[in-house]
Amino acid sequence: MPGTLTSKRFKVDDMAAAVDFCFDRGWSDGLPVVPPTESAVGAMLDAVRLAPDAKLAYIRDRFVTVTAEKVAINAVMAGCKPEYMPVVVAAVEGIGDEGWSYHGPGTSTAGAAVLMIVNGPIARELDINAGDNLFGPGWRANLTIGRAVRLVMRNVCGSMPGLLDRGTVGHPGKLSYVIAENEAESPWTPLHVERGFRPEQSTVTVMAAEGPHQFYNQLSSTAEGVLITLADSMRISGNVMGQPHYCLVLAGEHMKTIAADGWDKKRIRQFVWEHTQNAHAHLKRTQRMAGAPEAGDESRMRPLVAAPDDILVVAAGGRAGAFSCFIPGWSSAKSSAAITKEIKR
Amino acid sequence: MSIEILDPTTPASPRPIEYSPRPGSLAGKRVALIENTKFNSDKLLQRIGQILKAEHGIAEWTMYRKHNASVPAHEEIIAAIKTSADVMVAGIGD
Repeated sequence: MPGTLTSKRFKVDDMAAAVDFCFDRGWSDGLPVVPPTESAVGAMLDAVRLAPDAKLAYIRDRFVTVTAEKVAINAVMAGCKPEYMPVVVAAVEGIGDEGWSYHGPGTSTAGAAVLMIVNGPIARELDINAGDNLFGPGWRANLTIGRAVRLVMRNVCGSMPGLLDRGTVGHPGKLSYVIAENEAESPWTPLHVERGFRPEQSTVTVMAAEGPHQFYNQLSSTAEGVLITLADSMRISGNVMGQPHYCLVLAGEHMKTIAADGWDKKRIRQFVWEHTQNAHAHLKRTQRMAGAPEAGDESRMRPLVAAPDDILVVAAGGRAGAFSCFIPGWSSAKSSAAITKEIKR
Repeated sequence: MSIEILDPTTPASPRPIEYSPRPGSLAGKRVALIENTKFNSDKLLQRIGQILKAEHGIAEWTMYRKHNASVPAHEEIIAAIKTSADVMVAGIGD
């Protein structure tokens, strides 16, 4: 490891005492952490060939520089293997990007988590789950990479629940919210290629997001049939007055049904964008838009996002089961853009 | 055997904030109200403007609107307020 670790050091009796010490100092998300020893932190930094003082992000509203050393310490605590570290680094660069606008999703009462979508060869190499039980337990990479990012937000960027992180209800994705796209079985262009990267590059896309909303369609055998159910479930969700993004996560059976009709991601986005718009009259009657309905409001439509391209489409989830999900973004249009960063190795 | 662990935190760096001098009285002052775009924030600030006029004798109040709630007031607003107001009211919250 080039360079010296400069973080303050604490001596504790043993590993068990170290776990309790981290709880007592307020460094944990509520689960036990792996004690961050110098050798473990050094291995994290070696995995990305970064000096401890390398600057990965600057959080403007907090005047905080996020260094590789602090990211490595939090990655150890989260339970990451050293080989996960490049993904954590790229995700931290993502939430530090000006376009992601950290201060909003890092603090907001609307309770966004950082949805992280991993693309490219690294997803398969690290066994980042893209299949069964997609958002659930069972995969170390999925649970510890996201946890590391959230620990950085807490311990470095100051997003402490109840203090600077004021999520009113929050959601479990704030512990970890990492998926990979199922590129091996997907019939579609991968998300990172749509966003300007080459297929052989590895990337992580960060999006400020609510939790996943599952929808059922066990009936239809057509693309339009599945997607009209999706659109009907999605039309009233999130901040219906306008959001920066939605993410559609289309799982095995739905993916195959939609692809069998020849629909690509562009057509999916266009269809869903057109079929999730709300009449101003409905938004006013249901107290989502101010004012009383006026002439023309029944046919005056408001889309969930400004343009079809604001909808991210990802192929992921188990092969069996006619279920998929949509994920609303956070806050209002233009408040936080999804950012894709290359995972450098 | 004891072990040594590393501190994962970075304290926020302290920074000096210089406050403008407060006026002794609001009478005759021009007041800028900064609206954060959230529902009803304009109504709340309008009411504050009315109270400042009725009870404290301000000359006028003007409402400014941020781009969105999660970002600081943008340069154009700050520049306008510097030349057209003596006092401003900014609200944070939902």
